[in-house]
Amino acid sequence: MSNYYNMPKLPTENSPKVEIFVDDRPVMVPGDTNLLEALKAVGIETPHICYHPYLPVSGNCRQCLVEQEGPRGRMLVISCYTPVVPGMKIYTPASSERVKNARKATQEFMLVNHPLDCPICDKAGECTLQENFMEAGQNESRLRPEVGKNYHGNPDHQFVDSKGQVRGGKHVDIGPRILLDEERCVQCDRCVRFMRSVAGDEQLQLAGRADHTYISTFPGEKLDHEYDLCVTDICPTGAMTAKYFRFQKRVWLLSHTPTVSMDDSLGANIWLDHADGKIWRMMPRCNPQVNRSWLSNTSRMAFQTFSENRLPAIDASAIKIGEGKVAIVLGGTCTIEDLAAARMLKDSLGGRAELFGGTFRAVGKADGIAKSGDPMANRKGFKVMGVGDNNLQDLVKRVSEFETLITVNADLFGEDAAAASPLEKIKNRIALSAFDDATAKKATVAFGIRHWSEVQGTMVNSLGILQKLNAAPTAPEAELRPAYEVLSQLSGTAITCASKAFKKAGEYASVLAEYSYDNIKSTGALLNGVEV
Amino acid sequence: MARVVRHKDMNWLERLYIFEACRGLWTTLKHAARGLFRYEQLPTISYPEGQPEIWNSYRAKHRLMLRPDGTPRCVACGMCAAACPAKCIFIEATQSDDPRIEKRVMRFDIDHLTCVFCGLCAEACPVDALRMDTKVVSFEHRTREEFVASLYDLTSWDPKDYPDDALSQEAPGGTRNAEARKIWGMEVK
Repeated sequence: MSNYYNMPKLPTENSPKVEIFVDDRPVMVPGDTNLLEALKAVGIETPHICYHPYLPVSGNCRQCLVEQEGPRGRMLVISCYTPVVPGMKIYTPASSERVKNARKATQEFMLVNHPLDCPICDKAGECTLQENFMEAGQNESRLRPEVGKNYHGNPDHQFVDSKGQVRGGKHVDIGPRILLDEERCVQCDRCVRFMRSVAGDEQLQLAGRADHTYISTFPGEKLDHEYDLCVTDICPTGAMTAKYFRFQKRVWLLSHTPTVSMDDSLGANIWLDHADGKIWRMMPRCNPQVNRSWLSNTSRMAFQTFSENRLPAIDASAIKIGEGKVAIVLGGTCTIEDLAAARMLKDSLGGRAELFGGTFRAVGKADGIAKSGDPMANRKGFKVMGVGDNNLQDLVKRVSEFETLITVNADLFGEDAAAASPLEKIKNRIALSAFDDATAKKATVAFGIRHWSEVQGTMVNSLGILQKLNAAPTAPEAELRPAYEVLSQLSGTAITCASKAFKKAGEYASVLAEYSYDNIKSTGALLNGVEV
Repeated sequence: MARVVRHKDMNWLERLYIFEACRGLWTTLKHAARGLFRYEQLPTISYPEGQPEIWNSYRAKHRLMLRPDGTPRCVACGMCAAACPAKCIFIEATQSDDPRIEKRVMRFDIDHLTCVFCGLCAEACPVDALRMDTKVVSFEHRTREEFVASLYDLTSWDPKDYPDDALSQEAPGGTRNAEARKIWGMEVK
């Protein structure tokens, strides 16, 4: 089904450097990759539409043309499908008028029947066609107005508009989450290749030939896959748009916060796109080691509930830890900083406190794209910090020993009410939670804290990569505090800053001591000696 | 560099004051008499009975143009809000019921207390939906909220007030509405 024979080879830090001549100047580029990536590595951007670093090369858009010196003179080649050869001579538009004209002509053809929808198009502002037009096109229109732009694609969706032009398929309901605009499609077939090679479920096809080509599903079928919203990310135009984000916000009004999804233990790298104190969408952030450019629908759509059903912030003096034994249960979305603060609290309480961690939810299997299937996001972090990550059954068995239960980000009753019901025997139940969930409702004190999208922190994903979370300014109340602040305050020494809490975590886990919070890269750091 | 302006010294007649004071009073009396007997020659207008003459290019209160079927031409692209230096335009979009129109405006508010009447919004509009040619220049309301013009305020204008404008006459009630509706081929909502 999937074939990787023309998957692009991407440059890495260990790529051999070879010398090629770009515009007659010698440059050192990575030698084991294609020309487009090699030029990118030395800072020369080549406009492209169909090429995507994590999809097989198709080479149909012809936008990335460069000139190469060959035995028969200088020839135009597509840089995405030309491997780097030592000593090759390349000419870019900086020196070659021919390349410039060729790219411009390609751009003009691309836009011949592309509608001028930009004002109402959701992709406007992050559209590859727009960017390429500014970089390589800038053509005056040569269309005769009496002919206009005509759409010849799917004959079932064609209509004639008030100006007498053939139009077509403005909103084709292609699946439960995606709308297709056939007019805007430039037939780059990125979505087809994504479904074929990455999702492994070939639901999309190019139908028809030449000018009549259009994107289609099989008759009677719909585009419905766990990763189908990724086609809206990779679509270079506004042809594939997500229904949940359609017409919600213009993209240039969004601010982007790079963070990590705590929905799953792979910790997919994401952008939280927010405006006016509200998250509008979640986009995958490219990390070659973790999720590449992909994000599952469940992780992506999770943001819709982040601001709903939240607990209010209350005064910390309401939390009264009794005299008896204390069980502190930490949920999967606790960051390394929260775990450090929990250990501080345990140390301050002495021998009468015990740390528990885990989830009652089932652990699934990794799908090999952007999910590990484990709902306990920071499980590796628990291991690193020496906190039990799967001892909830132990707590349930020994429930009569404890007098106080503190749950942090752990919705035990919501996950499995039957399994958690013995915990109701504990008299003093304190819930530190972002949401007013089942555990918070059953608790004697429900203390509102910040959600993981609103905190600074770190987590260790299932591959043993230490990744950094950044706070989006979307907390419903300014008084809400992160869990580590509350826990450290209970322990007696309040920590109000994630970098200090991370330093504290270094005292408990020596593997973290060699990092400081500020110099963890946006793509994370592979921890030494953490079993994967 | 400072420029020194030397005034002519007053002569002794002027320094006597009384003759100069009478001369000034005569000017006042002259204008007062003109207000009584030669009213039309006054350089001022007696607002509010007399209204100022406003040019067609004057940037006055906004209006939203209408399609032949009466829906606003606005496609909620947000270009006006992006161009607005005062950030006084608030737009929310939604899906249109009409299959041939993709996006329609759900909320279009202009806060005229914040607006600086620069006209950049009307210039930015790609579909000629927003114009500033109403010639309404005075805004008087009792509360701050009333100064915010809503979609209803901006679209309730009469084609009869714009007799020379072809696009205005395509709106419902205009002289070219029936013709335009035929070309548009649209059901009336």
